[in-house]
Amino acid sequence: MMLPAVAFLAVFVGWPLVQFVRDSFYAIEPFGGGREFIGFANYSAALASDAFTGAAWRTLVYTVIVVALEFTLGLAVALLFSALGDKSRIFRTIFMYPLMIAPVVAGLLWRFLLIDNFGILNELLRRVGILQTTDQIQWLSNPDIALFSVALPDIWLTTSFITLILFAGLQNVPGELLEAARIDGARYTTILFRIILPLLRPVIAVALIIRGIDAARAFDIILIQTNGGPQGSTETLSLLVYRTLVRFGDPGLASAMGTMYLLGMLLVAVVAVYAIWRPGSDRS
Amino acid sequence: MNGLVVRGKTARTILWVLLAAVTLLYGFPFVYLLLTSFKTPLETIAVPATVFGSEFTLENYASALGREGVVASFINSTVTAVLSTVISLVLAVPAAYAITRYRTPGGQVFILVALVCRMVPAIVVGVPLVSLFRDLGIADTSIALAIAHTTLSLPLSIWLMTSFFDAVPDELDEAAKIDGCSRLGALRRVVLPVVSGGVAVTAIFAFLASWNEFLFSLLLTAVRAQTTPIVIANFQTQFGLDWGSMTALAALYSIPVVLLTLVLQRHIVAGLTLGAVKG
Repeated sequence: MMLPAVAFLAVFVGWPLVQFVRDSFYAIEPFGGGREFIGFANYSAALASDAFTGAAWRTLVYTVIVVALEFTLGLAVALLFSALGDKSRIFRTIFMYPLMIAPVVAGLLWRFLLIDNFGILNELLRRVGILQTTDQIQWLSNPDIALFSVALPDIWLTTSFITLILFAGLQNVPGELLEAARIDGARYTTILFRIILPLLRPVIAVALIIRGIDAARAFDIILIQTNGGPQGSTETLSLLVYRTLVRFGDPGLASAMGTMYLLGMLLVAVVAVYAIWRPGSDRS
Repeated sequence: MNGLVVRGKTARTILWVLLAAVTLLYGFPFVYLLLTSFKTPLETIAVPATVFGSEFTLENYASALGREGVVASFINSTVTAVLSTVISLVLAVPAAYAITRYRTPGGQVFILVALVCRMVPAIVVGVPLVSLFRDLGIADTSIALAIAHTTLSLPLSIWLMTSFFDAVPDELDEAAKIDGCSRLGALRRVVLPVVSGGVAVTAIFAFLASWNEFLFSLLLTAVRAQTTPIVIANFQTQFGLDWGSMTALAALYSIPVVLLTLVLQRHIVAGLTLGAVKG
């Protein structure tokens, strides 16, 4: 009964993937021109280009920003929900709504919020006295901070995911354990770092790995906000592969870049599984 | 409930205020989107920006819906998402059932492989899929796009359904078999009705994955099968920055799924947390 699903994934993911990797060893003329086997030349060309190494670095930075911020926020909110108990249910519902919104809509919405002259964020910051003029922070047009700014909608969209998962995990932390620690005079931070977080380790691992993979693949949310600019400061690997493939029409080079991108993600995911999850070494 | 609940009265008041503030901040972007969509086109880009418009108008909605291809894109998005949900369920339900009932090593390997499939960026399989669908004669159709979207939702669907089937004791199938059902008969008549809630959750996630997807839609559709996210993205290049109509269209596209969240809240939470928390 597994066969249809296996066949489906083999035909529509496996086979395209094989073609993609095969293309990475060829020099391919765009628009149906000739192809010639060139071994690893595309790989060395990609590794030698600043565009690729820069994009790989930006993908990493983007992923770390997104995952670190939403983990911190998500955990804080999950603890807040737990502290308030069952009465916080309605807030939990409201908190979940961004998860349903399309990334392209979220990107567009935040671009609108962050625009420097008629954007509402800088206007509100000006009204409360943090900024003097509304063009003081150029969220999306200052290359030094743009990579951080494009991450904001991603954080906004999926912090709820982390919160929900951690909240559910927190419900399974045995109350007697916390009570005992409190009687022994442990402070909240001690309880958090010594008891709660270690117990949540498997849950945290799943949440971080899923979100890490998704953040590393982010495409539309960045495309719609900056299209990789200003000055390439937000061009991550997914955007670079897309541009190399569709705009520059170099499938060979794009395939080499994409293959390394995929291998990199796999490697990080495997390392993450072993580092955080440590299957077998914990109670669950 | 557990020992994490704070009981002190002052502490609770402070926490409630904190929660209200967080919710307000978190809710603001979408509320602002809605408020902006009812402003006049000029007021949407007025300096200084205001939170509340001075007059209420449906002008932006009228001009957004009046644009060529917008209504058709809504139909395409719906058809694609429904098709993709159906394909995803038809494939995931028997696969997950087999994985939980036969417990072969192959099943465990398959779950792992499916999760790796989820890691593959759309850009990697997207271009080979373009030529594959052209060869199959279904280029630029909703069915082709639905198939592509299913590659994204299928791993999660299998994962979710596996967790739901795991919760159903094997004895139920055994009893059905003694009563003369085949394996498939037991699945259809006895087990599926028990996990109908789980099927609903899986369907919601498959639907959302397709409804919100962008890159496959960009690569695999030209005109006929174009979905709304692409139309939204095209608004800025084709017509300059028409923020008024764009906020209206974005609101129209998001409101159904946001309402869906509120209505099906409990099911969605169950689906999101199930696999992860079991560890």
